[in-house]
Amino acid sequence: MMTNEEYFHSMLPKEEFERIPYLPTMGQFVNWFTREYADMPALSDTVNTFTYAQLGQRVARRRAFIEGLGLPKGAHIAIFDRNSQDAIELFLAVTSAGYVAMNFPASLPEMAVIGSCMKFDIAAIFVREEFMPLTAKLQGVKVLPAASIAETEAPAADIDPDSPAAIFFTGGTTGQPKGAVLSHRALMRGNYNAIFKPGKVIGQHRYIAILPLSHVFGLIAGTMGCFYTGNLLFTCEDMKATIGKFPMLKPTLLVIVPGICDILSGLVKMYGPQFLGGNLRMIISGAANVPPRLVDIFTKLGVEFCFGYGLTETANLTSANADAVTHPTSIGRIYPGQETKVVDGELWVKGDNVFSGYYKDPVRTAEALTEDGWLRTGDLVRFDEEGYLYITGRIKNLIILSNGENVSPESLEEPFYADPCVRDAMVKEDELNGSQVIAVEILPFMPAFDGKPWEAVEAYMNALVAKINATLPSTHQIRKVTVRTEDFKRTGSMKVARV
Amino acid sequence: MTKEQVLDGLKEVIAVIRPNTDLTHVTYETELVRELGIDSLTMMLLALATEEKFGMRFPDGQALPVTVGEVCDTVLNARA
Repeated sequence: MMTNEEYFHSMLPKEEFERIPYLPTMGQFVNWFTREYADMPALSDTVNTFTYAQLGQRVARRRAFIEGLGLPKGAHIAIFDRNSQDAIELFLAVTSAGYVAMNFPASLPEMAVIGSCMKFDIAAIFVREEFMPLTAKLQGVKVLPAASIAETEAPAADIDPDSPAAIFFTGGTTGQPKGAVLSHRALMRGNYNAIFKPGKVIGQHRYIAILPLSHVFGLIAGTMGCFYTGNLLFTCEDMKATIGKFPMLKPTLLVIVPGICDILSGLVKMYGPQFLGGNLRMIISGAANVPPRLVDIFTKLGVEFCFGYGLTETANLTSANADAVTHPTSIGRIYPGQETKVVDGELWVKGDNVFSGYYKDPVRTAEALTEDGWLRTGDLVRFDEEGYLYITGRIKNLIILSNGENVSPESLEEPFYADPCVRDAMVKEDELNGSQVIAVEILPFMPAFDGKPWEAVEAYMNALVAKINATLPSTHQIRKVTVRTEDFKRTGSMKVARV
Repeated sequence: MTKEQVLDGLKEVIAVIRPNTDLTHVTYETELVRELGIDSLTMMLLALATEEKFGMRFPDGQALPVTVGEVCDTVLNARA
């Protein structure tokens, strides 16, 4: 059996694997890609396209501007912008100059901007012109235009790999957002692992920075992985307008979430595969379950589907599956540089990529990290005999049965997702005639029913539940079925919101 | 192009992006979020698909439409 290292290393041609070193700091990374890929195109907003040498030079001029602010090394600097050329250059400059970067989501409202600057001790903030009014009430923070750049250049700093490189918002959809601190070593391990994808990678792809840079997946897999492999990245200041420009941008690789895959599949269905530009070869999808029907649609278009699993706290990349066709429900093999163990069904991870803690939040840091450095992921998993990983649920979603047994709703939902007539399903605890029961709500995939009456849809779903129940112990069987006519409430990344 | 024709075209788009919708009940007054369950990502698909179907572009910075009728009006104005 191939080890995880061998699995990932064998994806790349040997000469490419040997050409790309693991570098432990952002300063070394920026210096390396500037030299290594000097004449290759790096970053484009479709008007201006910079080579790696030009990008490196612009990042050096940004560093000179930042150093001119006179802040102590390690000061926190926020970037409040869309996925623009400014935002990408600033992130590279702030981190490679030895300061700590924090990308603010473009949708952050005024009060949250002020609150986040206070909570995360932001010393300076680079702001897109249109967002400037949202920073008018900030006090004690240097507010600077995102376009700021000096005429002179400053070299990358000599950085301790274990010093903080960036802080990422996490868990911000409910309650107080936390700030996960990633060291240079952790961020760079994520960036390095993002090079692994099947086939030749150096100078082969046209990426689009479509996901928010405030999220580790958009930043690490979508942006830094592109630079590590000498590919061209298009900026994306407006997701809708950028998707509309696919026929012109001709992306070859998209780092997206299933919600966007769904949009693209809808557009392909209505207007044909040429809507994607005609060059798309690979989709890397994360952040939620990918329904097999989407994998099918894109596989038939000749697009390879890779999906993976990770947390902000693991610099995004914990595992990846480049074998979607043979192992469609697995989230893949564990990326190099990590140790894993399964404790009471929960995945624990240790390695370079694990975060240093939540900023100024020792209580929640201690909940997540053990004293000897293991991260409790909160995800219930199993490995198969080949070393492929499967998520079976989230600890916090577990249903505790009246007999004290635990059942994970996600594991019961899995067979529903595999059925081509189901769009989405949610298993939850409910009540029937005063007793606790396991219930399912199913949203049918109506095109599969080809205009049949609603009664037929309901009959199909009831039969499906009976078929699934036949495979389950009686305590785990689903006793209540609701077939939905309206969509579920969804989160920002189109996941079904558990309520 | 008449408003009725735009509505018919929009129904074809809605049939794809919200396959569970009973199209006979979709009128100018139908609300996109409340009645069709269209969230922000699906709204983007609706906009992209509508632009492609009618060969127009939604103006930048405009408030999000609330009803199907408002989408029809935007299409007609953009094509005028």
